[in-house]
Amino acid sequence: MNACAMKTLAVRMSGSLPALLLTNLLLCLLVASGCGKPSESTSTSGTAQKASLTVGVNFETLQTEYWVAGFEAIKEELKKRDIRLVESVADGDANRQLQQVRTLVTRKVDGIILVPKDSKTCVPAIKSANEAGIPVVLFNRPASESDGIRPVAVVADNRKLTRETVQFMIEEARKTGRKHKAMLIVGDLGDMNAIGRRDGFYDAVKGHESVVEVVAEVPSEWNQEKARAGVVNALQVNPDISFIFSSSDFLFPSVVAALKSANKYHRIGEPGHVILGGFDGDATAYQMLVDRYLDATGVQDVYFEAEQSVQALLDLLAKKEVPNLIQDPGFVIHQGNLEEKKGRMWGARVRK
Amino acid sequence: MSRPGSTRWRWEWVLNQAPILLFAVVVVGFGLLSPAFLRPVNAMNILIQTSSTGILAVGMTFVLLTAGVDLSVGSIMFVAAAVGGKLAVSGFPVAGVIAVMAGIGIVYGSVNALFITRFAVLAFVVTLATRYFGRGLGLRITETRAMNLPEEFYALGATKIAGLPLPVLIFGMVAILAHVVLTRTPFGRHVYAVGADADAARKAGIRTKGVLFAVYGICGVSAAMAAVVALSQAPAVSPGFGNNREFLAIAAAVLGGTSLFGGRGAVLPGTVLGAVLIQTIENGLTILNVNSYLYPLITSGVIFLAVLLDATRCRILARVGRRRIYVETPPEDGPGDP
Repeated sequence: MNACAMKTLAVRMSGSLPALLLTNLLLCLLVASGCGKPSESTSTSGTAQKASLTVGVNFETLQTEYWVAGFEAIKEELKKRDIRLVESVADGDANRQLQQVRTLVTRKVDGIILVPKDSKTCVPAIKSANEAGIPVVLFNRPASESDGIRPVAVVADNRKLTRETVQFMIEEARKTGRKHKAMLIVGDLGDMNAIGRRDGFYDAVKGHESVVEVVAEVPSEWNQEKARAGVVNALQVNPDISFIFSSSDFLFPSVVAALKSANKYHRIGEPGHVILGGFDGDATAYQMLVDRYLDATGVQDVYFEAEQSVQALLDLLAKKEVPNLIQDPGFVIHQGNLEEKKGRMWGARVRK
Repeated sequence: MSRPGSTRWRWEWVLNQAPILLFAVVVVGFGLLSPAFLRPVNAMNILIQTSSTGILAVGMTFVLLTAGVDLSVGSIMFVAAAVGGKLAVSGFPVAGVIAVMAGIGIVYGSVNALFITRFAVLAFVVTLATRYFGRGLGLRITETRAMNLPEEFYALGATKIAGLPLPVLIFGMVAILAHVVLTRTPFGRHVYAVGADADAARKAGIRTKGVLFAVYGICGVSAAMAAVVALSQAPAVSPGFGNNREFLAIAAAVLGGTSLFGGRGAVLPGTVLGAVLIQTIENGLTILNVNSYLYPLITSGVIFLAVLLDATRCRILARVGRRRIYVETPPEDGPGDP
């Protein structure tokens, strides 16, 4: 229900002046809150007055640490290059995102960096910008193939990076000289990244059944409580699970709580250690690596993606050839390369 | 009223027990498919996993009984957890954190109630606005960063009293208290009366605004307690904490027979059974290691079936219970009559 419909409904139902005023106040509250940001705000640095370019940055949401880290990295990159920034957040609403992109077009920004709600609903927004001669670069999520648009996307290959992470875990499992029962914690099935990670897990496991046997697949819907309940239930049926891959590091507190309740949370090298792996590279995962509880996690190189997104936009503006897909190779971080790689792990940087 | 033992009486009994029978069918079904499901430890697991949603649903039942709705409970959980998490991380004692979280729940619920009662704005509009406001506020407080809470929170969830895990005890106490309040106190009767017909309740001398204020306050503090119990199980506040939990709470209450139109429903066994049923399905599907795509299909299918059964039951019971008045029509005087 949009704001106008809510207002009409409220006035019809209450019918008094105080109620009308209150309804307006509530709508203002809704608009002023983080989730209801209706239009873009302008953020400029001290040097922005001299800037010759203005870039619109539109994020689908800022409700995870990863997106916040990405947002900050893009802002930093733009500031470094003395580019003005116009920012907006769609709060998970594809229609709002379309309107916000159209507003950016109306404001005649020079280019747009977009994190789309999903691969399909962003197509009209990209078309609208392209028709106005404004190039669009997609950050971390690609768009569907469509006639008339040529979006450039900078994305991590979730499937490949997960496959590499799980392959590392399998090698660790092989070193123990015994067969392991494995659990996969799946993300939201409506999220292409979650599906890529699930497929990457099964790619890696295929052919290694003598080392790892998958006995449980727990759907989490990216919800910590659901993940915790699922892990507890799976451990109850298969108490000898000793290999767990979580499709996102942010679910680790749930996994750890469930392992603790089953008395199965031990450091690497200690008897009963469960081989743990994840994806993202957040602050929790970094701390678990430091504390030697986590074996490996696949890190999306958010700084590489931010840098490449801005560069691709500048190249498009300069009419240079830019590939449609720029791959963030990411990297697997583990005990063996922690010191070497932690500088590129965004979780290590945002950790307080 | 049908005669005990008659066919109609049996049908009425079956329809009245529909939610419990559906629950039994689910339990027996999963039990047949996996013996591990029927183990006592699994029953306790289900209760532990239900406790947070169950407490939330109990609070929601109060609001639904007055024909209202509170869409902000998930945000109340988030704001309470965000503030509580900040305090816990800075070394505040757990008891103090819980007290602050409960206070936030009461204040949040009171703000909702103030707009609804004092300014007569629709509950739907008020709580939708405060839902978004709360989520924005929570994100601001947490700076969209996950907060891992100290070990004391995990210890809280692992605590057992008389062999019962603390989350289950809290859930049980909340449910019993709510049941007693609703069924044994004048306030409880007022809640049902306001939900059934607010105008009639007002004319009967019930302070309807006071009742509404109280139920939104109860709902707010229940949400805060649900957050405490959730944190005791997974001691971390993520940016999505509590998101969309209102719908699960409403589903649990409605599954348990609470009417969205107010005036009808109960915490025991109703809402508690509804919350346990939802978690039982989730638990059973994990134990059977069912394909992830089937979870929403099966869960929503059972919820739909339960609500459909409940609606059918209400319709049939209303028809059966309706008083039949026969009006004898006097014989018409025909032209040929003497």
